[in-house]
Amino acid sequence: MFEPVFMRLALIASVATGASLGIIGVYLAFRRVVFLGLVLANAATVGAAVAAVFDWSPEITSIGAAVAVALGLGLVQRPRRVSSESVMGWAYAAASSAPVLILAAVAAPDADTLHMLFGNLLAVSTSHTVGLVIVAVVIGLAHVLFSRRFLLVTFDAEAAQVAGVNARLWSLGLNLLVGVAAAAAVHEIGALLTFALLTLPAMTALLLTASIRATFGVAVVLGSVLPCLGLATSFYLDLPAGPASVALLSISVLAAAALGSFSSSA
Amino acid sequence: MMSLHLDESMAHSRPIVTGRELSLGYNHHAVFEGVSFDIHRGEILGIVGPNGSGKTTLLRTILGLLKPLRGQVERDAGLAISYVPQRDRIDTILPVTALEVVLMGRAARAGALQRVHDADRDAGLRALALLGAEPLGPQPFRNLSGGQQQRVLLARALAADHTDVLVLDEPTAGMDAASEAGMLEFLRDLNRTRGVTMLIVTHMLPIVLNLATSIMLLGARTVLHGTVDDVLREERLSELYGVPVHLGIVAGQRTLVVGRRHAIDV
Repeated sequence: MFEPVFMRLALIASVATGASLGIIGVYLAFRRVVFLGLVLANAATVGAAVAAVFDWSPEITSIGAAVAVALGLGLVQRPRRVSSESVMGWAYAAASSAPVLILAAVAAPDADTLHMLFGNLLAVSTSHTVGLVIVAVVIGLAHVLFSRRFLLVTFDAEAAQVAGVNARLWSLGLNLLVGVAAAAAVHEIGALLTFALLTLPAMTALLLTASIRATFGVAVVLGSVLPCLGLATSFYLDLPAGPASVALLSISVLAAAALGSFSSSA
Repeated sequence: MMSLHLDESMAHSRPIVTGRELSLGYNHHAVFEGVSFDIHRGEILGIVGPNGSGKTTLLRTILGLLKPLRGQVERDAGLAISYVPQRDRIDTILPVTALEVVLMGRAARAGALQRVHDADRDAGLRALALLGAEPLGPQPFRNLSGGQQQRVLLARALAADHTDVLVLDEPTAGMDAASEAGMLEFLRDLNRTRGVTMLIVTHMLPIVLNLATSIMLLGARTVLHGTVDDVLREERLSELYGVPVHLGIVAGQRTLVVGRRHAIDV
């Protein structure tokens, strides 16, 4: 199955992406902002569309767009009359429609542009795979080095601020990581699988575990392993790889919820 | 803002936190104007007032979490302030134990890269033991009762090597009578034995009647600051709360009764 080079690259890319998005997804779940992942994935798509129009580097432009939106959402104070979910909803709607409008204004996009916009795990190149591995290493390192700070400002930002921690800066740093991880992933695996990997492994992990370390561990393992199983499923059953992976991730949530109900009733 | 006379010993000592001609509020809308105060070392300041009177706004301004619209709050350089928020402001989605919560009090004062050492763990356990909560250490924070969570949050504030000022927001919320009495006794001892200055925000007047050395009473755009006896007068409280308020002494303790006097047949 992994004889062709493109399958091996897809395997490495899905392990790297699943691991980094698994870590980031747990932070998003703890901060109750899972929608942020979807917003940033779509912001990256906007960046790719802009890059296609102006012939810029799609990677740099989309990471720039996602990071700009991540920082913007962290820096701009939301009006008190609306919830942060509403602001996320607005950002998602705007970011979803923008690529379509931008591309409608130019000639019909070619296959490469569509790949950049919507991703295709089976078409990932060697250089992009290396990029995804580098992003995964950076996120893993940031987690190992700074998880205590990230968790501190997630648990009680005000008490941390009073004690002298710059809670806003650390929250922005975390948003920045989310932006980079989502933007790097969305080109290769598409917005749907990116959002699924940001949300579902963390959700399953929270249902199965009772400690922070275990939550991150389970999320990383599920995020890395299930998309690989999705690849295998797509290979043997001739199904699209992305949706097959999302289906497996969704089933893992249901299985964890069922296991939790069974354990609590036993 | 009206300042009534403070305890003689305090009035002559140098304040550690001062506010001068402050205008406080949100989004350019002032809740209070012309507020000035001095907070002295060793003082137990009760900040009281009806719901919606602006206690949280004042507290957040003193803590530096909210910028005054006008004027300035000054704190002594190097003043170590620990904040104990209302427990319902804490999101229990994080799967942390009580001891891990307490250790966050030390992590907030340590460097971003510093790991947890045995000395930190010992300090955390000592802080829990001070509050008679050592057995709670390994238990999931989210599974604790409201009163237990409040004690753990207080232990978090005390786990730091040094605390000059302890700021408590509704510290006895959700506690039964015995737990409440125990908490107040603990705070009194802490002030007496370690000289910790305390700011206690509560809408429950009886909490501060026998604990505070001075009071800030917040009314309709007014702030009264002075000793308990000078500020908390029956006629003033009755007018502010819109119901008859009676003050008296029972078993050597100040007591407060709200409502009309009527005889009870025994």
